[in-house]
Amino acid sequence: MTATDDRARPAERKPAQIVDMSWDPITRIIGNLGIYTKIDFANREVVECRSTSSLFRGYSVFMKGKDPRDAGFITSRICGICGDNHTTCSNYAQQMAYGVKPPPLAEHIVNLGEAAEYMFDHTIFQDNLVFVDFCEAMVKATNPGLLARAERTGAPHAALHGYRTIADVMRAFNPFEGEVYKQALKVSRVTREMFCLMEGRHVHPSTLYPGGVGTMPEPTVFTDYLSRLLKVLDFVKQAVAMNDDVFDFFYEALPGYEEVGRRRILLGCWGAWQNSDVCDYRYETMDEWGRAMFVTPGVVVDGELRTNSLVDINLGMRILLGSSFYEDWAAEQPFVTHDPLGNPVDMRHPWNQTTVPAPQKRDFDGNYSWVMSPRWYDRTSGEHLALDTGGGPLARLWSTALNGLVDTDYVKATGHSVRITLPKSEKLPETTLEWRIPRWSNTIERDRARPYFVAYAAAMAFSFLERAQRLVRGGDVRVFEDFDVPDEAIGCGFHEAVRGVLSHHLVIKDRKIANYHPYPPTPWNASPRDSFGTPGPYEDAVQGQPIFEENGPDDFKGVDIMRTVRSFDPCLPCGVHMYLGKGNTLVATHSPTFGASHG
Amino acid sequence: MGTIRVGRPDVKPDTPGHVKGMHQGNKGRTYRQPGHHKDGTADSRRSTGIHWKKHNAIMKIMPNLPPG
Repeated sequence: MTATDDRARPAERKPAQIVDMSWDPITRIIGNLGIYTKIDFANREVVECRSTSSLFRGYSVFMKGKDPRDAGFITSRICGICGDNHTTCSNYAQQMAYGVKPPPLAEHIVNLGEAAEYMFDHTIFQDNLVFVDFCEAMVKATNPGLLARAERTGAPHAALHGYRTIADVMRAFNPFEGEVYKQALKVSRVTREMFCLMEGRHVHPSTLYPGGVGTMPEPTVFTDYLSRLLKVLDFVKQAVAMNDDVFDFFYEALPGYEEVGRRRILLGCWGAWQNSDVCDYRYETMDEWGRAMFVTPGVVVDGELRTNSLVDINLGMRILLGSSFYEDWAAEQPFVTHDPLGNPVDMRHPWNQTTVPAPQKRDFDGNYSWVMSPRWYDRTSGEHLALDTGGGPLARLWSTALNGLVDTDYVKATGHSVRITLPKSEKLPETTLEWRIPRWSNTIERDRARPYFVAYAAAMAFSFLERAQRLVRGGDVRVFEDFDVPDEAIGCGFHEAVRGVLSHHLVIKDRKIANYHPYPPTPWNASPRDSFGTPGPYEDAVQGQPIFEENGPDDFKGVDIMRTVRSFDPCLPCGVHMYLGKGNTLVATHSPTFGASHG
Repeated sequence: MGTIRVGRPDVKPDTPGHVKGMHQGNKGRTYRQPGHHKDGTADSRRSTGIHWKKHNAIMKIMPNLPPG
């Protein structure tokens, strides 16, 4: 059982006063996510939670029979915000299947594009979407006592970001009006420009192919990128300081807030940014080049690193059903019985999965979601772990820190922390930030990790720029390697989408796709109860969490629950809308959006 | 269908799906591309066929970086 243990509860409990509360769809995320809860207002806690999605993702169904070289362009359309992560991951999988290694400059260009994507996406999500839950208007409507205290509390990093009190920072978070909100929009534009320099177009890249890139490696491409990177550096440094101030204040002012969204530490990270010196895309050497990635892959269980081997990660993947609208494929013929190293591949592994959708009425005691339940089978304990991604950055930083393998001029993993050095920028001097492994995997830490990872991506971008420019200065401008599509092959790609783990599994037969399964982060995070009854991470994190909102059931906004769900950076990638029932509208109570004025 | 009266077609035919002389991806690998050298460097022939020898780097110590 992977669910979080029961939280410590006060000895005296009042008779329960349970109210059904639901948010469907949840706003300020991508896709259709519904959260259905039972809240005990007498004891101020969430008793039960179920997460559901009314989106059917049909990619694995219609990819069959297509030319595998098209996979990167098609799967990019899974998502409207991190499509390039899919293209990159698909290309990784294809490069393994075709046996082709792109030239080093191509790898640096992809890495630079992905770094810009992390910076763009985390900034727009954190500052324009997450902070609405922490802004002055929202706090005033949900916890007026907290705002009064914030007015009296000085911001420890005021000298760095210029906001005297915590309430001033919260005011800067106010949507449409606050300074941080407006500045973040500009930063996300500039970082998107950086992305386009490398990958041609945002968010569906036009210059990424298996075997390399179509980007012309002219010196100006890199200097244009660099000048934009330097322009956003002040913002990045200030964002980290502001986040630390606000989140530390929440811990201090609301004792017990660490319990909000806390779950057992079960984090998965599949690694990002290939190291072209080591990576040859062969399955046989995948462990070696996986460990050389600039974000180290890993599965972290209860704070301990369980593995950093991509082969182990790959073989442990299990796609379970239990509460999803699909028929089981256990009786089908397997596509891959053994991996290239001779290890047996499970029938529930994505390589062997067959998606058979079975639309039906939503039943919270039976099947209630289009999301399946990906789990990671832990051989040591025999458990099917419901890993989450911590919204992406938490798992990436945690795994990288514990592994202690990343050692570049700008980023260094120490075994217990990650040290990020950013050079001098327009206003601020050279700065070294240190993200330390936190005590909990909870809402605040998921949100806090995000700006740190923006800094991480910015720092790594400097490193990639230096590597790329060194090659260009030497006249090495190779960016593409040709290849033949084999008649039969298998491949897998491991990458980090902005919000966490991303894998693509590909089987080629007769030079066509026989099976293709992308597993982005949200199926892991938003999964419903699996066949063992284990709840998915959203459900697990929300279930049992205390409620700190001062409002009663009548004007309840559910801000603590929304903070928890949004801390995972939910993104239910696009699919085919399915019609539920006979035109009945799903019961939608209320969804806190755009500050306090909309209830 | 045969009885439907139609006017004279006044649309231009589609542009050809393939330009003669261009390499088609499905034919297999491209073993030679003008201006690309085996060691990863390139010369101005990569960018143009017109007076390309006059558009290379002017000194040997300079990297040859033809424009896109």
